[in-house]
Amino acid sequence: MQIHDDEQFEVYLKRFHPIAPEPVPTLRIGHSTRRSLSLGISLAAVAAVLVIGAVILHIRSNQVVVSNTNSDAAVAQRHAPSEPLTMRSANAWLATAPSFKSAVDGLAFRPQISPLPQGKQSAVAVLSKEKIRL
Amino acid sequence: MASTDRNATEIETLYRQHGAALLLFASAISGDRGRAQDALHQVFLKAIENGSLSQAINKKAYLFACVRNAVLNDAKLQQRNMPLDLAQAWFSPPDRDYAGEQNLRRALGDLPDDQREVIVLHIWGELTFSEIGDLLAVSSNTAASRYRYALAKLRGSMLPKENPCADPR
Repeated sequence: MQIHDDEQFEVYLKRFHPIAPEPVPTLRIGHSTRRSLSLGISLAAVAAVLVIGAVILHIRSNQVVVSNTNSDAAVAQRHAPSEPLTMRSANAWLATAPSFKSAVDGLAFRPQISPLPQGKQSAVAVLSKEKIRL
Repeated sequence: MASTDRNATEIETLYRQHGAALLLFASAISGDRGRAQDALHQVFLKAIENGSLSQAINKKAYLFACVRNAVLNDAKLQQRNMPLDLAQAWFSPPDRDYAGEQNLRRALGDLPDDQREVIVLHIWGELTFSEIGDLLAVSSNTAASRYRYALAKLRGSMLPKENPCADPR
Protein backbone atom coordinates (compact mmCIF):
# COMPACT_ATOMS: atom_id res chain seq x y z
CA MET A 1 0.00 0.00 0.00
CA GLN A 2 1.44 3.36 -1.01
CA ILE A 3 0.13 6.28 1.06
CA HIS A 4 2.04 9.42 0.41
CA ASP A 5 0.32 12.06 2.53
CA ASP A 6 -1.85 12.53 5.58
CA GLU A 7 -5.01 13.09 3.58
CA GLN A 8 -4.67 9.73 1.85
CA PHE A 9 -3.96 8.11 5.18
CA GLU A 10 -7.08 9.74 6.68
CA VAL A 11 -9.15 8.39 3.79
CA TYR A 12 -7.66 4.95 4.40
CA LEU A 13 -8.54 5.12 8.11
CA LYS A 14 -12.09 6.23 7.37
CA ARG A 15 -12.65 3.09 5.34
CA PHE A 16 -12.67 1.24 8.65
CA HIS A 17 -16.19 1.71 10.01
CA PRO A 18 -16.70 1.45 13.77
CA ILE A 19 -18.93 -1.47 14.74
CA ALA A 20 -22.46 -0.37 15.63
CA PRO A 21 -23.49 -0.68 19.29
CA GLU A 22 -26.29 -2.86 20.58
CA PRO A 23 -29.66 -1.10 20.61
CA VAL A 24 -30.71 0.76 23.75
CA PRO A 25 -33.26 -1.50 25.52
CA THR A 26 -35.67 1.34 26.29
CA LEU A 27 -35.82 2.48 22.70
CA ARG A 28 -36.81 -1.03 21.64
CA ILE A 29 -39.27 -1.37 24.54
CA GLY A 30 -40.87 1.98 23.74
CA HIS A 31 -41.51 0.97 20.18
CA SER A 32 -42.65 -2.53 21.02
CA THR A 33 -45.01 -1.15 23.68
CA ARG A 34 -46.63 1.17 21.16
CA ARG A 35 -46.82 -1.60 18.62
CA SER A 36 -48.17 -4.16 21.09
CA LEU A 37 -50.74 -1.63 22.36
CA SER A 38 -52.19 -1.08 18.90
CA LEU A 39 -51.97 -4.81 18.16
CA GLY A 40 -53.77 -5.56 21.44
CA ILE A 41 -56.55 -3.09 20.66
CA SER A 42 -57.13 -4.57 17.21
CA LEU A 43 -57.02 -8.12 18.58
CA ALA A 44 -59.52 -7.20 21.29
CA ALA A 45 -61.82 -5.68 18.67
CA VAL A 46 -61.62 -8.82 16.51
CA ALA A 47 -62.23 -11.02 19.56
CA ALA A 48 -65.25 -8.93 20.57
CA VAL A 49 -66.75 -9.22 17.06
CA LEU A 50 -66.17 -12.98 17.08
CA VAL A 51 -67.76 -13.39 20.53
CA ILE A 52 -70.80 -11.33 19.56
CA GLY A 53 -71.14 -13.30 16.32
CA ALA A 54 -70.86 -16.61 18.16
CA VAL A 55 -73.50 -15.53 20.72
CA ILE A 56 -75.91 -14.46 17.94
CA LEU A 57 -75.35 -17.73 16.05
CA HIS A 58 -75.84 -19.71 19.25
CA ILE A 59 -79.12 -17.96 20.05
CA ARG A 60 -80.40 -18.45 16.49
CA SER A 61 -79.45 -22.13 16.37
CA ASN A 62 -81.16 -22.70 19.74
CA GLN A 63 -84.32 -21.12 18.42
CA VAL A 64 -84.23 -23.36 15.36
CA VAL A 65 -83.64 -26.46 17.45
CA VAL A 66 -86.44 -25.58 19.84
CA SER A 67 -88.88 -24.99 17.01
CA ASN A 68 -87.90 -28.23 15.29
CA THR A 69 -87.65 -30.46 18.33
CA ASN A 70 -91.35 -31.15 18.68
CA SER A 71 -91.95 -31.93 15.02
CA ASP A 72 -88.76 -34.03 14.83
CA ALA A 73 -89.81 -36.00 17.90
CA ALA A 74 -93.27 -36.51 16.48
CA VAL A 75 -91.89 -37.75 13.18
CA ALA A 76 -89.41 -39.98 14.98
CA GLN A 77 -92.07 -41.40 17.24
CA ARG A 78 -94.24 -42.18 14.25
CA HIS A 79 -91.49 -44.11 12.53
CA ALA A 80 -89.71 -45.58 15.59
CA PRO A 81 -89.52 -49.40 15.86
CA SER A 82 -92.24 -50.75 18.09
CA GLU A 83 -90.44 -53.88 19.28
CA PRO A 84 -88.00 -53.78 22.23
CA LEU A 85 -84.67 -52.15 21.38
CA THR A 86 -82.00 -54.66 20.41
CA MET A 87 -78.80 -54.31 18.42
CA ARG A 88 -80.52 -55.89 15.47
CA SER A 89 -83.55 -53.62 15.56
CA ALA A 90 -81.35 -50.55 16.04
CA ASN A 91 -79.23 -51.50 13.02
CA ALA A 92 -82.31 -52.13 10.96
CA TRP A 93 -83.76 -48.79 12.03
CA LEU A 94 -80.53 -46.96 11.18
CA ALA A 95 -80.49 -48.61 7.74
CA THR A 96 -84.07 -47.69 6.90
CA ALA A 97 -84.34 -44.26 8.54
CA PRO A 98 -84.42 -41.25 6.15
CA SER A 99 -81.50 -39.60 7.94
CA PHE A 100 -79.11 -40.30 10.75
CA LYS A 101 -80.66 -37.54 12.85
CA SER A 102 -84.17 -38.93 12.49
CA ALA A 103 -82.84 -42.42 13.29
CA VAL A 104 -81.25 -41.20 16.52
CA ASP A 105 -84.34 -39.18 17.38
CA GLY A 106 -86.52 -42.22 16.74
CA LEU A 107 -84.45 -44.34 19.06
CA ALA A 108 -84.39 -41.64 21.72
CA PHE A 109 -88.08 -40.80 21.67
CA ARG A 110 -89.44 -44.29 21.21
CA PRO A 111 -92.49 -44.98 23.44
CA GLN A 112 -92.11 -47.37 26.36
CA ILE A 113 -94.38 -50.03 25.00
CA SER A 114 -92.31 -53.12 25.56
CA PRO A 115 -94.76 -55.63 26.95
CA LEU A 116 -93.44 -58.03 29.58
CA PRO A 117 -94.05 -61.76 29.22
CA GLN A 118 -96.82 -63.17 31.38
CA GLY A 119 -95.87 -63.96 34.98
CA LYS A 120 -92.97 -61.48 34.92
CA GLN A 121 -92.89 -58.04 36.46
CA SER A 122 -90.78 -55.01 35.95
CA ALA A 123 -88.21 -54.70 38.72
CA VAL A 124 -88.62 -50.93 38.70
CA ALA A 125 -92.40 -51.27 39.12
CA VAL A 126 -92.00 -53.70 42.05
CA LEU A 127 -89.43 -51.55 43.76
CA SER A 128 -91.57 -48.46 43.38
CA LYS A 129 -94.46 -50.19 45.13
CA GLU A 130 -92.43 -51.46 48.10
CA LYS A 131 -92.16 -49.39 51.23
CA ILE A 132 -88.59 -49.56 52.30
CA ARG A 133 -87.93 -48.74 55.91
CA LEU A 134 -84.55 -47.45 56.70
CA MET B 1 -47.33 12.83 24.17
CA ALA B 2 -46.42 14.07 20.69
CA SER B 3 -43.35 15.90 21.96
CA THR B 4 -42.23 12.79 23.88
CA ASP B 5 -42.61 10.72 20.72
CA ARG B 6 -40.69 13.30 18.71
CA ASN B 7 -37.97 13.31 21.37
CA ALA B 8 -37.70 9.51 21.35
CA THR B 9 -37.56 9.45 17.56
CA GLU B 10 -34.85 12.11 17.52
CA ILE B 11 -32.82 10.20 20.11
CA GLU B 12 -33.19 7.00 18.15
CA THR B 13 -32.01 8.76 15.00
CA LEU B 14 -29.01 10.19 16.84
CA TYR B 15 -28.21 6.74 18.21
CA ARG B 16 -28.32 5.25 14.72
CA GLN B 17 -26.19 8.04 13.26
CA HIS B 18 -23.52 8.40 15.93
CA GLY B 19 -23.81 5.23 18.04
CA ALA B 20 -20.92 3.44 16.36
CA ALA B 21 -18.51 6.38 16.67
CA LEU B 22 -19.62 7.01 20.25
CA LEU B 23 -19.03 3.38 21.14
CA LEU B 24 -15.59 3.48 19.52
CA PHE B 25 -14.77 6.65 21.46
CA ALA B 26 -15.98 5.10 24.73
CA SER B 27 -13.97 1.94 24.01
CA ALA B 28 -10.89 4.00 23.21
CA ILE B 29 -10.97 5.78 26.57
CA SER B 30 -12.43 3.11 28.84
CA GLY B 31 -10.38 0.20 27.58
CA ASP B 32 -13.28 -2.20 27.90
CA ARG B 33 -15.96 -2.67 25.28
CA GLY B 34 -18.59 -3.89 27.74
CA ARG B 35 -18.12 -0.84 29.96
CA ALA B 36 -18.13 1.37 26.88
CA GLN B 37 -21.45 -0.11 25.81
CA ASP B 38 -22.89 0.41 29.31
CA ALA B 39 -21.74 4.03 29.35
CA LEU B 40 -23.33 4.64 25.96
CA HIS B 41 -26.64 3.14 27.04
CA GLN B 42 -26.52 5.13 30.27
CA VAL B 43 -26.10 8.37 28.32
CA PHE B 44 -28.99 7.66 25.98
CA LEU B 45 -31.28 6.44 28.76
CA LYS B 46 -30.62 9.65 30.68
CA ALA B 47 -31.29 11.66 27.54
CA ILE B 48 -34.64 9.90 27.16
CA GLU B 49 -35.53 10.41 30.82
CA ASN B 50 -34.70 14.07 31.24
CA GLY B 51 -34.88 15.30 27.66
CA SER B 52 -31.55 17.08 28.05
CA LEU B 53 -30.64 16.55 24.40
CA SER B 54 -33.37 18.85 23.17
CA GLN B 55 -31.62 21.81 24.81
CA ALA B 56 -28.20 21.04 23.33
CA ILE B 57 -27.17 23.22 20.41
CA ASN B 58 -24.56 20.85 19.00
CA LYS B 59 -26.13 17.49 19.78
CA LYS B 60 -23.30 15.36 18.43
CA ALA B 61 -20.60 17.17 20.42
CA TYR B 62 -22.86 17.07 23.48
CA LEU B 63 -23.24 13.30 23.14
CA PHE B 64 -19.48 12.78 22.87
CA ALA B 65 -19.03 14.90 26.00
CA CYS B 66 -21.70 12.92 27.87
CA VAL B 67 -20.12 9.60 26.87
CA ARG B 68 -16.69 10.82 27.97
CA ASN B 69 -18.08 11.93 31.35
CA ALA B 70 -19.92 8.66 31.82
CA VAL B 71 -16.79 6.62 31.09
CA LEU B 72 -14.58 8.77 33.33
CA ASN B 73 -17.12 8.69 36.17
CA ASP B 74 -17.35 4.95 35.87
CA ALA B 75 -13.54 4.64 35.91
CA LYS B 76 -13.46 6.85 39.02
CA LEU B 77 -16.08 4.68 40.73
CA GLN B 78 -14.16 1.55 39.81
CA GLN B 79 -10.94 3.29 41.00
CA ARG B 80 -8.92 1.66 38.32
CA ASN B 81 -7.44 2.35 34.96
CA MET B 82 -8.19 -0.55 32.68
CA PRO B 83 -5.67 -1.45 30.00
CA LEU B 84 -7.18 -1.39 26.52
CA ASP B 85 -9.00 -4.57 25.64
CA LEU B 86 -7.80 -5.19 22.11
CA ALA B 87 -9.18 -8.71 21.85
CA GLN B 88 -12.54 -7.65 20.38
CA ALA B 89 -12.90 -6.05 16.96
CA TRP B 90 -13.61 -2.32 16.96
CA PHE B 91 -14.16 -1.87 13.24
CA SER B 92 -15.76 -3.66 10.35
CA PRO B 93 -12.82 -3.79 7.95
CA PRO B 94 -13.04 -2.82 4.27
CA ASP B 95 -12.67 -5.73 1.82
CA ARG B 96 -12.42 -8.22 4.72
CA ASP B 97 -9.05 -6.75 5.66
CA TYR B 98 -9.09 -8.32 9.14
CA ALA B 99 -5.33 -8.05 9.47
CA GLY B 100 -5.60 -4.33 8.73
CA GLU B 101 -8.32 -3.98 11.38
CA GLN B 102 -6.17 -5.73 13.94
CA ASN B 103 -3.22 -3.59 12.94
CA LEU B 104 -5.26 -0.41 13.34
CA ARG B 105 -6.55 -1.51 16.74
CA ARG B 106 -3.06 -2.29 17.95
CA ALA B 107 -1.73 1.03 16.61
CA LEU B 108 -4.55 2.93 18.34
CA GLY B 109 -3.82 1.06 21.56
CA ASP B 110 -0.19 2.14 21.39
CA LEU B 111 -1.13 5.83 21.26
CA PRO B 112 -1.17 7.95 24.43
CA ASP B 113 -4.73 8.40 25.78
CA ASP B 114 -5.05 12.09 24.85
CA GLN B 115 -3.89 11.49 21.27
CA ARG B 116 -6.13 8.45 20.86
CA GLU B 117 -9.11 10.52 21.99
CA VAL B 118 -8.41 13.24 19.44
CA ILE B 119 -7.85 10.79 16.57
CA VAL B 120 -11.12 8.97 17.26
CA LEU B 121 -13.08 12.18 17.70
CA HIS B 122 -11.77 13.73 14.48
CA ILE B 123 -11.62 10.72 12.12
CA TRP B 124 -14.64 8.68 13.16
CA GLY B 125 -16.59 11.19 15.28
CA GLU B 126 -16.11 13.83 12.58
CA LEU B 127 -15.80 16.62 15.13
CA THR B 128 -13.89 19.78 14.27
CA PHE B 129 -10.81 20.75 16.27
CA SER B 130 -12.81 23.55 17.82
CA GLU B 131 -15.48 21.09 19.01
CA ILE B 132 -12.78 18.71 20.24
CA GLY B 133 -11.13 21.57 22.11
CA ASP B 134 -14.41 22.45 23.84
CA LEU B 135 -15.01 18.81 24.72
CA LEU B 136 -11.56 18.19 26.17
CA ALA B 137 -11.21 21.66 27.68
CA VAL B 138 -8.14 22.50 25.59
CA SER B 139 -7.60 25.00 22.81
CA SER B 140 -8.38 24.03 19.23
CA ASN B 141 -4.65 24.44 18.42
CA THR B 142 -3.75 21.92 21.09
CA ALA B 143 -6.35 19.53 19.73
CA ALA B 144 -4.98 19.96 16.21
CA SER B 145 -1.39 19.43 17.27
CA ARG B 146 -2.33 16.29 19.24
CA TYR B 147 -4.05 15.06 16.13
CA ARG B 148 -1.00 15.64 13.92
CA TYR B 149 1.27 13.79 16.36
CA ALA B 150 -1.21 10.93 16.64
CA LEU B 151 -1.64 10.63 12.88
CA ALA B 152 2.12 10.51 12.32
CA LYS B 153 2.49 7.80 14.95
CA LEU B 154 -0.38 5.78 13.49
CA ARG B 155 1.14 6.03 10.03
CA GLY B 156 4.53 5.01 11.31
CA SER B 157 3.19 2.00 13.12
CA MET B 158 0.68 0.84 10.51
CA LEU B 159 2.56 1.32 7.28
CA PRO B 160 5.89 -0.26 6.44
CA LYS B 161 8.80 2.16 6.46
CA GLU B 162 9.43 3.57 3.03
CA ASN B 163 12.87 2.52 1.88
CA PRO B 164 14.43 5.16 -0.39
CA CYS B 165 16.84 2.57 -1.81
CA ALA B 166 14.10 0.14 -2.72
CA ASP B 167 13.58 -0.83 -6.34
CA PRO B 168 10.57 1.24 -7.53
CA ARG B 169 9.41 -1.60 -9.86
